[in-house]
Amino acid sequence: MGAPVQSLASQTPKKAEHSIINDKRHRRHLLGNRLSRYYFFFSILALCFVLGLVIVFIGKTALLLFGDVSPAEFFLSFNWTPEEEVFGAAAFIVNTLILTALTLLIAVPVSVGMAVLCAEIAPKWMKSFIRPVLDLLVGIPSIVYGYLGLTVLLPFLRRVSGEGLGDGVLAAALVLALMVLPTICRISDDAIIAVPRKFRDAAYALGSTRLQVIMRVVLPAAKRGIISAIILGMTRAVGETMAVVMVIGNTPQLAKSLFTPSSVLTSNIVMQISNVEFDSNWNYALHMMAFLLLLISFVLILIIRVIGRKREDA
Amino acid sequence: MKLFKKFTVTALTAVIAVTATFAGIASAADTLKGKITINGSTALLPLTLQAAKEFQKLHPKVKIAASGKGSVTGPQAVKKGIADIGACDWDASVDVPGFKAFDGQVANKVAVIPFATIVNKNVGVDNLTTEQLAGIFSGKITNWKEVGGSDANIVVITRSFGSGTRVNYQAKALGGGDIVKKEKNYKETGSSGDMKTAVATTPNAIGYIDLVYVTGSDIKAVKHNGIAATTDNVINGSYKIWAYGYYMTKGQPTGATKEFIEYVQSKKFQNGSLKKLKFIPIAAMKG
Repeated sequence: MGAPVQSLASQTPKKAEHSIINDKRHRRHLLGNRLSRYYFFFSILALCFVLGLVIVFIGKTALLLFGDVSPAEFFLSFNWTPEEEVFGAAAFIVNTLILTALTLLIAVPVSVGMAVLCAEIAPKWMKSFIRPVLDLLVGIPSIVYGYLGLTVLLPFLRRVSGEGLGDGVLAAALVLALMVLPTICRISDDAIIAVPRKFRDAAYALGSTRLQVIMRVVLPAAKRGIISAIILGMTRAVGETMAVVMVIGNTPQLAKSLFTPSSVLTSNIVMQISNVEFDSNWNYALHMMAFLLLLISFVLILIIRVIGRKREDA
Repeated sequence: MKLFKKFTVTALTAVIAVTATFAGIASAADTLKGKITINGSTALLPLTLQAAKEFQKLHPKVKIAASGKGSVTGPQAVKKGIADIGACDWDASVDVPGFKAFDGQVANKVAVIPFATIVNKNVGVDNLTTEQLAGIFSGKITNWKEVGGSDANIVVITRSFGSGTRVNYQAKALGGGDIVKKEKNYKETGSSGDMKTAVATTPNAIGYIDLVYVTGSDIKAVKHNGIAATTDNVINGSYKIWAYGYYMTKGQPTGATKEFIEYVQSKKFQNGSLKKLKFIPIAAMKG
């Protein structure tokens, strides 16, 4: 700058100009803040609106069913023969619950165990191998899992069990368990890492073994995170469709054994929705099942939240 | 803000200019205009897409949107006014088992679709009669030794109710017989691809599929009443398990829709692309 040549007089207006620019910038920032606040608020509002619309439209179509079919038949009858206007969805509801429970039974011990291994026990090189692999597994589309289930798992189950088909809740639960395992494992892993180091140090100082530290200190402290990991896994298991449809057999009957070809809410919807007439009870019944799915996952999440809170209070 | 505005204006101008240029090129000497929406059968979708591609080259001002879901959605979409053409694996203007006729719709034949009974490669049986098939799918025959095979339980794999393949197979191969759900060794699949994989990977399995899908060594097509499932046997009339594919329209087709259907029915398309896709030209059938 040619500052030395310029007189003092020219400096004052420059300063003023500077403060005006500053002021402008400040106002722009304020405006930006306000606008982004409106934007976020609008986003949330839009999301709620769309969510509401989904629920209303599914619910509206679903409730048309009860004009012709009694709720008692829909919820309590095990006879699903839509060709003959018999809509009993109890088998699907029970199967969905069985499948979800079985999936969690398989997936939770394994995935929480893996999370403990990852966070507490494994050497560094193993951690840096396991974590990216798990992250990769989350990204695999579910239909690929289903296809692997169909071509690899089912023949294996057939050989082991001596069944003719091998399809059923066990096959579906195994596939689902593999799918939710990375989710549960990685989130539990994060929860366990978040447990402060001083907890462990204190426990070791009191003479605990590593197993005692993990079981008595680390896991209880990370419980909240682990529970939300399980919730996430469970909602994925309840709503998962494509993988299940390929290995469960798609026969509307109660899963009396692990190898009974059966059907759950999601798989039944996807199998039939494209083959039914728009304005038919059958279509309404499928919408009702979708609505039910919404309610089931809602209730399951509530139950687990309540259990989680109670344990924390105790 | 100013910069942003400038950018928007430039972008808009560019888009308009490009659109105008393309529209200018496209408007060369063709008077046929319109928009055709096609919905329905997935079995006919490859044919529809190919025809649409060729037709749009001839008539650039016609826009064709095609999608596939299930056979019955075709005539339904036409009924609701969502689609101009509903592709369907059966003649939806008359009653078929499970589905009432769609009143006021016209069925335009566009192709012949052959179907085949398939079994897993480990099954020794290579010929089944209509009665035997009806027995197997209705659950009366449960062991392969009852139809001349080895002593093993039959695993029945079928399509879900309302599938066009299932409707036709039931009518033609089972003589109208029922497909009955069984407690065990029974499974429904959602698509032709799933059906093929399921039969290929399940020992002692039997199923049915479009003939074009019968490839590879894991599945084999079974003779029906002693006659092999080949396109030649379909054309000479000895193999009975086939069906016409239809384009359903609300009343007689008009305008661009009519032109399009006529294009699909034309000798050029039927003997060219349609044959290449392994459908059979409708003109080849005597009936």
